[in-house]
Amino acid sequence: MHKRDTIFCAICKAGAFVSLLLMVGIFAQLLIHSADAWKHFGISFLWGVDWDPAMDIYGALPSILGTLFSTVLSLALAIPLAFAVALLITESPEWLKRPLSQCVDLLAAIPSVIYGMWGLFVLVPLMQDYVQPFLADTLGIIHLPGGAWLLGEDGVGSGFGFLTAGVILALMILPYMSAVMRDVFRMTPPVLRESAYGLGCTRLETTRDIVLRYGIRGIIGGIFIGMGRALGETMAVLFVIGNMMECPAGLFSCGSTIATTLANNFAEATGLQQSALFALGLVLLLMSFSIQLITRYYLALTSTRRGENA
Amino acid sequence: MKTNIKISTRNLNFHYGKHQALFDNNLDIHANKITAVIGPSGCGKSTHLRIYNRIFELYRNQKATGEVLLDGKNILDSDVDLLKLRHRVGMIFQKPTPFPMSIADNVAYPLKLHYKLSRSEMDDRVEAALRGASLWDEVKDKLKSSGMALSGGQQQRLCIARALAAEPEVILMDEPTSAIAPVATLRIEELVLELKQKYTIVIVTHNMQQASRISDRTAFFYKGRIVEVDDTTRIFTNPAHKQTEDYITGRFG
Amino acid sequence: MTPRPVFFRKLSNHLLNLLALGSICAALGGMGWILCTVIQKGAPVLSWEFLTAPSKPYGEPGAGVGNALLGTLLMTLGATLLAVPPALAGGIYLAEFGKNSRLADLLRFCANVLMGLPSILVGLFVYAMLVVTTGHFSGMAGTVALAIIMFPVIMRTTEDMLLMVPDALRESALALGMSRMRATLCIVARSARNGLATGILLSLARVSGETAPLLFTALFADTWPGGFFTEPTASAPVLITEYTTNSPFESMHAMGWGTALIMAAFILIINIATRCIFHENKH
Repeated sequence: MHKRDTIFCAICKAGAFVSLLLMVGIFAQLLIHSADAWKHFGISFLWGVDWDPAMDIYGALPSILGTLFSTVLSLALAIPLAFAVALLITESPEWLKRPLSQCVDLLAAIPSVIYGMWGLFVLVPLMQDYVQPFLADTLGIIHLPGGAWLLGEDGVGSGFGFLTAGVILALMILPYMSAVMRDVFRMTPPVLRESAYGLGCTRLETTRDIVLRYGIRGIIGGIFIGMGRALGETMAVLFVIGNMMECPAGLFSCGSTIATTLANNFAEATGLQQSALFALGLVLLLMSFSIQLITRYYLALTSTRRGENA
Repeated sequence: MKTNIKISTRNLNFHYGKHQALFDNNLDIHANKITAVIGPSGCGKSTHLRIYNRIFELYRNQKATGEVLLDGKNILDSDVDLLKLRHRVGMIFQKPTPFPMSIADNVAYPLKLHYKLSRSEMDDRVEAALRGASLWDEVKDKLKSSGMALSGGQQQRLCIARALAAEPEVILMDEPTSAIAPVATLRIEELVLELKQKYTIVIVTHNMQQASRISDRTAFFYKGRIVEVDDTTRIFTNPAHKQTEDYITGRFG
Repeated sequence: MTPRPVFFRKLSNHLLNLLALGSICAALGGMGWILCTVIQKGAPVLSWEFLTAPSKPYGEPGAGVGNALLGTLLMTLGATLLAVPPALAGGIYLAEFGKNSRLADLLRFCANVLMGLPSILVGLFVYAMLVVTTGHFSGMAGTVALAIIMFPVIMRTTEDMLLMVPDALRESALALGMSRMRATLCIVARSARNGLATGILLSLARVSGETAPLLFTALFADTWPGGFFTEPTASAPVLITEYTTNSPFESMHAMGWGTALIMAAFILIINIATRCIFHENKH
């Protein structure tokens, strides 16, 4: 190879190595700065339920459970939505396809802080005045067995809380998920769909039995992407979740996620509290990292099983 | 001998948007016979076939006018139930289209759609369909493996078995062997010949030997019009039109 | 054989259609609602003074958000300058040299992890790296945090765009006797330039609205961006957060909405313009 080319290749390689450096660096920094907390609380930090700066006692469980709960809620809302949106876009006529999908993409471009603001000033009052009473009393969920447990707060919501956070998160992750699903639907060979319709399938049956099976990898990949987003989203959740250091106790209850705990407390924290916050950050990093690992492993696994090269 | 007419098209026209693809097609498909549809590429033969189960309606801007009478009932009427129509009229495509599921599930799929069956009935009928498509002996030991792992010819026979399972009355075949190796093609042709005992078959093909080998009647399409329809032997030995003769002797196409 | 009734199959099919229609209405309606609220509440406060005066504590007259807007602009541009060169180089490495080697796979995986990383963790990282060591919250720390968020996105976009360039083009360039460097920069990268520009602009728009990584790096200040390396620097998203969560005053909420309107307009215009311009060129 040319000498100049060798240098060029080396420069490019150096650029690519920045990604490795950053990843290792982030892991290392979070580990180093959280060392105090791990030394002090040991692994039981993970299931400690108290977060009390006055007593200098910190436990991660409320934030961890809050993160998982808000993520699951948002996925439960967003998966069917994203699926249906992707389906409608793929099946709509050509002239409508592009504008529709671009509009949905724009949802992802709106900064999360604006979602949060809108959530705080518009959605929270709405939830308090209409949605929560409707769910609890009009639908009577509160009177069903387990209803009080499901809703929490005795069915009287403040408008803040996990349900509101879930709704906002769902709206935020929807475009990411539906973009992936859209590509999956588009990649299904037309002749396969024709042949399903040719057997007398309805659209639902064709989608459920053929398109979905054909693209299940992509769909699950899309869900993982949405999950990663929901897990680490800070601002949109911060405004509406109520910010209580308590374990989630139902849809209407207030709580916090790892990201919101960090955002709320980090700037003023010192000493052990700061270290505990770094430890929380490490937990979040591990969660997001394992999602990546699982996605990758899952994709590799299914592609060998189906004998594909790509 | 009295001929039984299964499908009869009357003044059938077809448009892709503003472009007219078929002009006043009139064609009778005889029951329990194999009708071959031949013609140069782009002549509208596939388009014609795709009207019989209204699969063209998946796409916008495509429109058929005229009449297609299936047992005397016009299938282009708006009150026709598409699901039932497609149950009665099966279709085999140019490329094999196994669904992303096991061999057995592929064949069982249309059964599950259209019928309520017990487990054992289902197994029996899957076996019957696979035997009907002369595929049973090759796959009986691997019914649970993926249908996409079979060879091209086997995949196509799997699709035929799938179409047979629902017990259609008519089977449409759109160049079913054009993507298949020659040896496998012969097996499929033998199969098609056996099937005509029970089914009415319409096969689009660009292969004139194939048409003369297997079909009873042949329709020659040219530029969206039906030039000539007759018994296959007649078309290939003594065509009435100059264009037909030119085409089957290979002077154009 | 008992046939299954068609009625229920059709009914469930209609339900699916309804669900699809409802979903897209919910998604687009949600977006429309958000934008309308932002416009309705933000438009009344817009004025020349609002755009140009610096922010002030509550009650002082003549307050604006000029410093926050300028801060966001500076930090976003700085982040772009910082992130783009190594990201382009890295993308070129993955697409042209690394391809499917183990090393390239590892680096690609790292980039994917970084892309999925919660942005607040980037804030923690930069806090530990720059704020603790220098002893200051600073605009530079914010800039670095934004750059770290941009980097993996641009690197992967670059790779994808370069991979879309047909191999025949590479080969014919090399066959003319060009060096690898010239072939890559002058031929391959040039034919992918629309995609690259789109990628850079879209990620620029994205980071300009990032809040979480700035919370403990650039912090906030009621002053014009001054000491870039030593002083906290205001930014529009953090201003919105401060004014809406930490303030009970209507007038500050209104200023928050005004800032949100400017940001949303800026980001949406970049998004729509990039998509329109570069889509036209592609065909």
